[in-house]
Amino acid sequence: MRTDVRFPARTSLAQILDVFERDPEFLSQVTHWERIPPKAPRYAPFPDWLDPRIARSLRARDIEALYSHQAAALNAAHAKKHVVVVTPTASGKTLCYDLPVLDAIAKDPSARALFLFPTKALAQDQLAELERLSTDMEIELKTFTYDGDTPPQARAAIRSAGHVVITNPDMLHTGILPHHTKWVKLFENLQYVVLDELHTYRGVFGSNVGNVLRRLRRICAFYGSHPTFILTSATIANPEELARRHVEEDVLVIDESGAPRGEKVIVFIQPPVVNAGLGIRRSALLTGRDIAATLLASGIQTIAFARSRVQTELLLTYLRARFPQPQWPPELIRGYRGGYLPSERRAIERGLRDGSVRGVVSTNALELGIDIGALQAAVLVGYPGTVASTWQQMGRAGRREDLSVAFLVATSSPTDQYIVQHPEFVLGRSPEAGLINPDNLHVLVGHLKCAAFELPFERTERFGTEDTQGVLSYLDEHGILHESDGRYHWSDQAFPAEAMSLRTASNDNVVIIDTTDGRTRVIGEVDRFAAPVLVHEQAIYLHESKQFQVEKLDWENAKAYLREVKVDYYTDAGLAVRIRVLADFATSTEKATRSHGEVLVSALATVYKKLTLYTHENVGWGKIHLPEQELQTTSFWLSLPERVTRAWPKERLEGALAGLGNLLHALAPLFLMCDPHDLGLAVEVRSPHTSLPTIFLFDMTPGGVGFSERLFRSTEPLLERAAEHLANCPCAEGCPSCVGPAYALGAKVKVGVAELLRQLA
Amino acid sequence: MRDLRARLDVLPLGCVTRPPAMRSDRPFEVIEQRIELSTLGLSVVGQSEPDARVMTHLGLNGASPSRWEDIVFLDTETTGLMGGTGTYVFLLGTAHIRDGELVLRQHLLHDLGSEAAFVAALREELAPFRACASYNGKCFDLPLLRTRFVMTLRSDLSVDESHLDLLHPARRLWRDRFGSTSLRQLEDSVLDIVREDDIPGALIPERYFRWLALRETGLIQPILDHNARDIVSLVRITDRIAQAVIDARAGRAPDHAPAAFALGKAFDRAGEHDIAYLCYESAYADADGELRIRVALPYAKALEVRGHGDRALRMVELLLELGLGTPRWRAQAEARVRRLARIMAKRCAPSKTSATRRTRSAAGSSPALS
Repeated sequence: MRTDVRFPARTSLAQILDVFERDPEFLSQVTHWERIPPKAPRYAPFPDWLDPRIARSLRARDIEALYSHQAAALNAAHAKKHVVVVTPTASGKTLCYDLPVLDAIAKDPSARALFLFPTKALAQDQLAELERLSTDMEIELKTFTYDGDTPPQARAAIRSAGHVVITNPDMLHTGILPHHTKWVKLFENLQYVVLDELHTYRGVFGSNVGNVLRRLRRICAFYGSHPTFILTSATIANPEELARRHVEEDVLVIDESGAPRGEKVIVFIQPPVVNAGLGIRRSALLTGRDIAATLLASGIQTIAFARSRVQTELLLTYLRARFPQPQWPPELIRGYRGGYLPSERRAIERGLRDGSVRGVVSTNALELGIDIGALQAAVLVGYPGTVASTWQQMGRAGRREDLSVAFLVATSSPTDQYIVQHPEFVLGRSPEAGLINPDNLHVLVGHLKCAAFELPFERTERFGTEDTQGVLSYLDEHGILHESDGRYHWSDQAFPAEAMSLRTASNDNVVIIDTTDGRTRVIGEVDRFAAPVLVHEQAIYLHESKQFQVEKLDWENAKAYLREVKVDYYTDAGLAVRIRVLADFATSTEKATRSHGEVLVSALATVYKKLTLYTHENVGWGKIHLPEQELQTTSFWLSLPERVTRAWPKERLEGALAGLGNLLHALAPLFLMCDPHDLGLAVEVRSPHTSLPTIFLFDMTPGGVGFSERLFRSTEPLLERAAEHLANCPCAEGCPSCVGPAYALGAKVKVGVAELLRQLA
Repeated sequence: MRDLRARLDVLPLGCVTRPPAMRSDRPFEVIEQRIELSTLGLSVVGQSEPDARVMTHLGLNGASPSRWEDIVFLDTETTGLMGGTGTYVFLLGTAHIRDGELVLRQHLLHDLGSEAAFVAALREELAPFRACASYNGKCFDLPLLRTRFVMTLRSDLSVDESHLDLLHPARRLWRDRFGSTSLRQLEDSVLDIVREDDIPGALIPERYFRWLALRETGLIQPILDHNARDIVSLVRITDRIAQAVIDARAGRAPDHAPAAFALGKAFDRAGEHDIAYLCYESAYADADGELRIRVALPYAKALEVRGHGDRALRMVELLLELGLGTPRWRAQAEARVRRLARIMAKRCAPSKTSATRRTRSAAGSSPALS
């Protein structure tokens, strides 16, 4: 056998798993080893209404039938029923919407469809697929992507001639809806709207998208069309509810997949405790590195997911160090995340498909359906924050019908520890719900303005469930709308969609410029809210596993100037948070006093720490001088009754309150399907608002998307879950996996928190 | 839950808030003025029958109207400068020629809620005309009008296809001389008019909204005046451009070299090569430096077509020998020289070798191969 240096062992995945399973040291870290058996396909015949060209060309590709869920989706769409398809990665979801659309256009060339994908990259992938299908089927079909990259001279043709327009919600919001008179052909003949990756339209983004869809439907009604929505989603607890909130009509759920599935092994890893006193476990990053390295060394194409940009870069550095040059050229293992330039990303995707890239370390940027072919193994360093993301990341391995494996390596964080101790949370029926709040006033009023810009409002018209009439007359009184003849007209010179981003509070990004050796090269960007923490002066910024130091941050002009450096530390910035309560929506004094309402959060990046690579020791610090960032949002807050804490010494109370805050903050995302950093935490020993020790859990997105109300309503199960987790944590005095490290919060923190929880129960 | 108003009060509205609009007792008004044509100093517009070739030169697509009376000059004022379906046309100024007078009509919208009636009136207003003329209407006025027609009437514009956008010919003629070709600049430089007390275009939307709220004549009058002046200037600029075209065709190319050059190129495109030739000749004679280099190649081609290949060859060779032009230009010039030399050689076969040699040396290439 010829030995290829890049694939030294050429061991089969089954053999490697066998080795893992026999290794007692490895097994001691495994909390659960799940073997999901393969599943045979279930077929259904092509519907008899399907255009014969489509059936013929599918047969030419050796497709003699559809999977059962595809046929169900086709029949529903054909009957003009809105439908959401909830089946696993690689189950052929694309055909569920491509085929009805192709059929409609084959039968009536004036028919139109609009495809919405959450990102531009996904849109490009789908364009290629649809073009291939229509060419094979000899159906005259003009498909275009329409986004920020579309050349101006091509736009006129797309508007009038494009059968299928592929775009993203942001472009629909600023580029299409406010100019609907240029899209008359599209809106008059719109038969299908496709919304892929529905579960990504949650939180603030989802709340915005829900409103963009309301505007879309208003415009369709104006032109006399009533499109059918075809949606797809990863598995979540409430696909029907989420789809209905977006479509605002009944939506049929199809969640029985007929696609075959290869055998899949899922391993839950809990790295060992290395310092029992401090409750510190071995780094998930290093554990994940070891697993990934073993797989890569055996020639298994592997994807590793890390939770943040910084972690991605660190893991890439660690992994590359394991595979020295020249035997292993660095291009064999690549990093992938937002902030890399698009051309760089396309090259990595190609390399993964053709096998020249053997390993990739990614943020969740590769979680959605970007075509990177079928990998064999996935290593998740840290719980991705939601069960849906976990399945999507694990699904990047094993798209074909053969054996695949996914490792979920827990960090010390309480959520991660909870997940590996309760694998049924991931493996069982999905517990998490996609939440949106399109009626969040902050979001709603912005879109109501956009909608009025697009078409005047009838006085009786309803836009969302808020008091539409009340908002309209308010805007009329301020001269922004003008009421006349029973209709409200836009009466301002502004272009309201321009000023509103669907994804973040701030529209502007800070551009990152590499100035090493006198060059000026843009290497990435970060959004402004994250900038004070990531690119403050002296910060170490990692890009493609190279270290850069921020030499100058031009805050006004949103530019950070960096120079490449070689140091043995990274930086971690701290944030000081203050809370002012603006309105109290509801309060309950049953057991603990708890409320939810509107707050103003002021966040100030204060200091940064220098932490050594690998050992994370603190080796220095510095101050950050940047303006305070403000966030108006909704918050849940919980106050400790005076009778509980009156007798406690201040220091003990402080520690216990902080510990309880950490614990609740860590476990709350399990109920909310949000990423942990979507929720902010502030703890006040004597809150100016309540005059009591108070814990605030607030929505990190402006205006809030419903997290605080949900927490208010499910405080009891949250406290129960917290008490249970605390009792199960093996640490003695408190550790980062439960209430936070005892060395920082005081030796009695764990006991204190337990006491507080008992009092609150 | 706080009451709706209190919650709305803390939201950033992101717009200028102002008092709501006052009701008006009529949906819109039409203001008409008539100006004696003789007072406008026009020499072509309204004077003789429109010449189809002049019209093509002015940028007209489609059939040329046979009378100036069939052309409507127009200019809009709008509630925003960024376009989109929420930007209203609140004032349409039109001018047409009737009985020796310029009839200036302004449709002013009094209430945004009356837009449908207003737009219907605009359609009536524009319907009789065969063509329209504007300044930058292709990119601004007409798309906005079309949007309003779709929004309120679900119909298209009648004058859309036959449209003279004077911005483009004006640019050809005057951009090099005056830098800017804004209507204001041309009034100043070509028509010798200075506007006083003119409201800047950027202030017009807000001023109109304030007028809707307060109905003070002092707010709307400057906008009406601004619009009226724009239209009269549009008519006069059209006249100047048409005159320049007619002059050139009569053998009087513009005495400003960049204008003559630009006009020459336009004539070339229109297939009027003889007139193009005269323009290039005039431009080459008057041009200096860099412009002369740019004129040289089209001029050489025109010379060649007219059988003056020898003159063309001498001219381009001379410029090359002087070492003029950018590398890109020199490459083109060398190609032209080779082509001319080939033609000359064909025409007088006996001197073939000498012509070829001259070409090579002029082109500065390697020594003769033979």
